[in-house]
Amino acid sequence: MKDLSGKTAIVGAYESPRRDAPRVHPFALQMECILGALDDAGLTLKDVDGLCAASGDWAEGGGTMDVIELAEYIGIQPTYVNSTDVGGCSYILQAGQAAAAIATGLAEVVVISYAACPRWWPLSTPSFDPFVFPAGPGQYEIPYAPTLISTYGLFARRHMDLYGTTPEQLARVAVTFREHAAANPQARLRKPITVEDVLASPVIASPLHRLDCCVVTDGGGAVVMTSRERARDLKRRPVYLAGYGAAVARTQNSQIPDDLSTPAALSGPRAFAMAGMTPADIDVAQIYDAFTITPMLALEDLGFCGRGESGPFVAAGNLAADGGSLPTNTDGGGLSSNHPGKRGIFTLIESVRQLRGDGPGIQVADAKVALAHGLGGTFCSAATAILTV
Amino acid sequence: MTAMTTLPILDETSAPFWEAAREGRFLIQRCPETARYQWYPRAHSIHAPHATPDWVEASGRGELLSYSVVHRGNTRGDPYTCALVRLEEGVTIFSRIEGVAESDLRAGLPLAVAFHRLDETVSLPIFRPPGDASGSDA
Repeated sequence: MKDLSGKTAIVGAYESPRRDAPRVHPFALQMECILGALDDAGLTLKDVDGLCAASGDWAEGGGTMDVIELAEYIGIQPTYVNSTDVGGCSYILQAGQAAAAIATGLAEVVVISYAACPRWWPLSTPSFDPFVFPAGPGQYEIPYAPTLISTYGLFARRHMDLYGTTPEQLARVAVTFREHAAANPQARLRKPITVEDVLASPVIASPLHRLDCCVVTDGGGAVVMTSRERARDLKRRPVYLAGYGAAVARTQNSQIPDDLSTPAALSGPRAFAMAGMTPADIDVAQIYDAFTITPMLALEDLGFCGRGESGPFVAAGNLAADGGSLPTNTDGGGLSSNHPGKRGIFTLIESVRQLRGDGPGIQVADAKVALAHGLGGTFCSAATAILTV
Repeated sequence: MTAMTTLPILDETSAPFWEAAREGRFLIQRCPETARYQWYPRAHSIHAPHATPDWVEASGRGELLSYSVVHRGNTRGDPYTCALVRLEEGVTIFSRIEGVAESDLRAGLPLAVAFHRLDETVSLPIFRPPGDASGSDA
């Protein structure tokens, strides 16, 4: 994989400023994002020969052949497509695979795009979604009516039992990212909160409170990738894909590992190895935060702290853009800024903005190496990208 | 307790499990080559992929590994407790805990299987404190 390091670049990025898009079809929002990212790159739809999207889940507008539906809607005929859906980190996985496609000549200009409109979407979850489908492995779990949040609750509770993690430490994650969101005019929630506010908010699924949970937004974003050579001739400073890794693990709750390790323990080391880097090299991180426990486990699996040490790590202020050792979720993350359902694309976009020096809110000074990391489902999958300028 | 209304979709592999559960017996699978247990049930052994697992009756005893009490989301009824239960046989299963107040839930709590009848064909294994048989309505 080392051969792939730095061979491709993100040359355009766009996050829709929308957080509410009443009765806007998600494909229309994707078109806004695709054109936005292409404009940013100085490219047009005519340049695009690759399309990556995963638009077949709830509130995403597409069905089981979503990438065809999307290509048709946009009005292009890509010769490279990827609609691999591994949940929220799909777009990071697709970026890694797009890099391989570009480096081997399968494609030249690839758009990776996402949008969803859960705030108004009128249909229920597709019946074949693994979290509602009571057949095969799911027949032994779905009848008990687990919720997505209760599965994160199982992780959080066991983390507390195994490692002494406290609700206050979890709350610090939400408080820190809200501080970052306060500076981002596009963030969904910007009013500062305290640890006490988080703990006083209603319990959704114990031990997680409402303010331990992400916002629910209508939104979308897109990035454009091309070769290192072509990137040099385009409008914006290229952001190179230096490292990439992905892994899948499980969907069923019964398969949660005893030590709560997640597939990030595979995706992270692969990404660092490809980049020839270690966690100490990361200047700024965007780490998927559907719930407060979500980035905490990632910090352990990615090696920013030891197993079980994420509670003290976040409580010590390490994630704060102002003085922390690992400024994280500088845009406010999913907890405060934007989370339509699969926010992996935003971890790429905010990484690009930080490396270019044009973050919408907080800007980390002189950031040269960024980490974008996501998970899918309930720690079912993981994908990690290391980006450089 | 919030009603459990989703019925499992039975298949060739799972039919023995659900038939036994209807009779109040809790089966898990054991690999014929390695004698190791597995959960969830599959048509093959995850320990020896060419082997077909045997069904064996589990002790029905275990302990609470982790839990989450669902207060909001997907329910308009009373809170209910989703849990990971470590069986004596060493495998972990996902289920519900009944008969334990939220404030009494803790990792390591001893549990025993009981059965919650969903309809005339399906009874769902749930877990309660040992000796508390009030949930066994299979």
